[in-house]
Amino acid sequence: MLAYIIRTAFFKTITLLIISVISFLMIHLAPGEPSQIDPLNPRFQEEDLERYRAAFDLDKPLYQQYFLFYKKFVTGELKSFKDNQPVFGKIMERFMNSLPLFIVGTILTWCLAFPMGIGAAMHRGGWFDQSTTFLSYFLISIPGFFLAYILIIVVVDGINLPILGLRIPGLEIPVLGIRTFGREGAPILFRFNDRIWHLVLPSLLGAAGGIAFLSRYVRGQMIEVLDSDYVRTAHSKGLNQNTVYYIHALRNAALPFVTMFGLLLPGLIGGSVIIESIFAWPGMGRMAFEAVLTRDYPITICLNFMSAVLIVIGTFISDILYVIVDPRIRL
Amino acid sequence: MYVKRLLILVPLAVIVLLLQSYFWVPTFDNQAKGSDQRLFQFINGSIGDAQILNPILHSDASSSTITGLIFEGLIDRDRDLSFRGRLATSWRIYEEAYFTPRPGGASPDALRKRILSARTEKTAKWLKNIEKVEAIPPADDNISVFLPPKQGTRRRQRKQIKVSYPARLKITLKSVDQNLFARLKKLLGPEAIATDPAPYLPADLDESTRRAAREKVKLIEHNPVIIFSLRKGVLFHDGHEFDSGDVRFTYESIMNSKNLSPRIPDYEPIKKVETPDEFTFKVTYKRLYSPAFGTWAMGMLPEHLLNDKALEAEASRLGRDPATFTMRDSSFNRSPVGVGPFKFKEWRSDELIRLSRNSDYWEGPPEYAEYIYRVIPDPISQEVAFYAGTIDSYGAGTHQVNRLKKDKRFQVFSDLSFGYTYIGYNMRREPFKDPRVRKALGMAINTRQIHRFVLNGQAEDLTGPFVKQSDHYNRAVKPLPYDPKGAERLLHEAGWRKKNGRLTKNGEALSFQLLTNHGNVDRKAIAVVVQDAWKKIGVQARVDTVEWAVFIKKYIHELNFDAVILGWSLGLDPDLYQIWHSSQTNPGQLNFVGYKNPEADKLIVKIRQEYDHQKQVGYAHRLHRIIFEDQPYTFLYVGKWTALLDRKIARVQRLPGGRTRVKKITTTKTGNYFFDFNQWMKFPSTPRFES
Repeated sequence: MLAYIIRTAFFKTITLLIISVISFLMIHLAPGEPSQIDPLNPRFQEEDLERYRAAFDLDKPLYQQYFLFYKKFVTGELKSFKDNQPVFGKIMERFMNSLPLFIVGTILTWCLAFPMGIGAAMHRGGWFDQSTTFLSYFLISIPGFFLAYILIIVVVDGINLPILGLRIPGLEIPVLGIRTFGREGAPILFRFNDRIWHLVLPSLLGAAGGIAFLSRYVRGQMIEVLDSDYVRTAHSKGLNQNTVYYIHALRNAALPFVTMFGLLLPGLIGGSVIIESIFAWPGMGRMAFEAVLTRDYPITICLNFMSAVLIVIGTFISDILYVIVDPRIRL
Repeated sequence: MYVKRLLILVPLAVIVLLLQSYFWVPTFDNQAKGSDQRLFQFINGSIGDAQILNPILHSDASSSTITGLIFEGLIDRDRDLSFRGRLATSWRIYEEAYFTPRPGGASPDALRKRILSARTEKTAKWLKNIEKVEAIPPADDNISVFLPPKQGTRRRQRKQIKVSYPARLKITLKSVDQNLFARLKKLLGPEAIATDPAPYLPADLDESTRRAAREKVKLIEHNPVIIFSLRKGVLFHDGHEFDSGDVRFTYESIMNSKNLSPRIPDYEPIKKVETPDEFTFKVTYKRLYSPAFGTWAMGMLPEHLLNDKALEAEASRLGRDPATFTMRDSSFNRSPVGVGPFKFKEWRSDELIRLSRNSDYWEGPPEYAEYIYRVIPDPISQEVAFYAGTIDSYGAGTHQVNRLKKDKRFQVFSDLSFGYTYIGYNMRREPFKDPRVRKALGMAINTRQIHRFVLNGQAEDLTGPFVKQSDHYNRAVKPLPYDPKGAERLLHEAGWRKKNGRLTKNGEALSFQLLTNHGNVDRKAIAVVVQDAWKKIGVQARVDTVEWAVFIKKYIHELNFDAVILGWSLGLDPDLYQIWHSSQTNPGQLNFVGYKNPEADKLIVKIRQEYDHQKQVGYAHRLHRIIFEDQPYTFLYVGKWTALLDRKIARVQRLPGGRTRVKKITTTKTGNYFFDFNQWMKFPSTPRFES
């Protein structure tokens, strides 16, 4: 086990080194320059552009830029082009914003997907199975941003279809952002619940896709396990249905999900670009997206690299977890 | 069955917790639920966050909006776009001019006497404009010249050269006169003024340096001077009094190359600044440059918080090297202090910027207690936030205007944008060298159709390069008619003959590429409409879209295109040197279509050198007509913006005796409805107006 850990750590370090080069090159080789360097600004002269390039180290050869960049990265001196703020401080701030969304979304996804998938597997071909199948494919195939807009418009502005003579007024209630503005003076209970309310739509939306996908997966795994001999034995012992499904069958069916749990980590960084943008949520995903658009190299490369690190760590944890939960496996 | 119960109860509990929160959140009708703070706030929605809250460093619209409320300049524009004093109470513009007499000609003193006697004898206006004539003793001056980069480097070399001027004549004028030297030559004879700089340069220069230096020596010199009288008793938000030292500091900070200010080009023409006393600021320019006056609308920085001493203290507090710590690194840029109507309070990145009322504002405090700039990156989300009452204004898309105009909940403002969209032709290439071809291509396009169907009617014709609402725009120029038959006649005149429905000349078809940037839906649609219109007269255009950065770098800057659809956004100043002057046609410069017209060149220079508004307008009208006749662009349209505001917001005037008067919000000549923002107030329901 220890030897395995050391060996893996070594290879993963090499992988990360290669990733550091690739993520650096990728953004530098892409066309365009940081948006601060605007050659189309009539007031900019060639000297001004040169001054900017020099300040961002962009006038140096690429390999020097690489070393300068990762030197700053390691010492924590890396600063965003956009506002000269330290990159790590910015990432931390955004991380704390993305965290509640991630936690609530994950709880909803994982806690709902299992009963849904198990229920469907238990009554294979029944009405519950068919309706959850329909719902799942509906949620998987409908684009998230579209659903988000529909949901927002229905909640805020209501349903307004003059052709059908349908007019249901909306709640005219704020749903965007991390909290309602101008509520600083309100009593604490109002403020707390206000933040909770703002979690509702984005976390439900985030969970919807996850539930649809995961419950399908749970159903498939369960069906496979339900056909095995030991489940039949458990049934014939006269055990209670729920005990058979939730204790005997689920343990084996849940094995693959242990590995998926490790892969959740990188999701922390990526967040959800689309949902965060639509809901004006100041999270990590949106920062990454905007950084790419403005060619804010330090933020983009940092996030790229950090999510690579998280993936590497995540797969590593999965491997270890696998050994722990499944005694049959040896590394 | 703990597992099953757990798997069902946990999400259920989470969902109940989530949903019950609904009852604690304010709605549109009841914005004061739990707290009435909302009525004292103005919340503005924006697509992007500000970048740096320093008026001399920022280069984005969001930062400019915020710094405009926190900082204030010496001047700004009033309702009719004329300049009005803000931190300056008044100003005077005059000119100091210098010239070097020709060696061996009349002495400076003799010339002085001739000018003075002409002033008393003759009645010409320009002579009466002369206030003082003095002979000044010989003096040395340092000039710096730029030489081409050395082999293997990218930076141009800079060299200091000493110029020894002989005794010269200094003429002080009551107002700026760009024709002074032309008139003096007539008065004194052409041989009176020196034209050869060689005698004043050091003898030991190599050939390329000498050539560069010759252009820099000024044998005649216009030095416009502006003297501002500053407002007394204006306090920065930290209680420090504003004075002329702050103005000087702001200027010096811009010019300090360590700060990387994008405003350098605006202030580069300044020769020197002086502060004769605490509330007087004098600035002298190296040359005639009329856009310079408008640049004093720039927000003024507090010297005491940003000077070298303050920056050093901050650097040592943060444990940074003071030698590399510049104004760009200062925390001031995220918690600025100015003299404007609002004070900075809080900035949460990509979420909001909060400002609070400055009760000591010199013009009286604003009505709103808070101004909040909210970042909502998505237009639909912005619209929804506006309906929910969590932002107060909303810029409608062209497709929404007709629907929202009728909505009783909102007040609507609409006007033309500062800028336009055009088709630019690469005039270095065939067939665009021929003005008849360019004109014909313009006449074949039904711009009205584009306005109506692509832009939902939210656009207008324009015929020339100026802001349409400004005085400089020449309204007498009528737009090109939509006339495909006429276009065909013009092309026939230019030698193009129709064969199988296609125009050809010398065996070559009239066919080219029409390029625009990817991601702009309107431009893409226009490209297709135009392609179709041209096809009808036998012109073949291949439409292509390219990603913005590539488009600029590989096509525009390398002058590698036939025709492009692009837009300019403009300022109110009529200086168009970079876009239209023939010297700006090299790769990477902005006259990428390669427009060259000697008369237009002359007018462009005259406009930037003219300080008299009426004369400037005259030159601009002429220039507008010349450019229209040459048709280097097909001017397609100027867009119309529409903004909505909650109807509960109105303007309140406080009259002496504590009475108030509620008025409707009105706009400036260019449609700016924020002009009276400091008097705005939100009422619990729509107010009734007094006339």
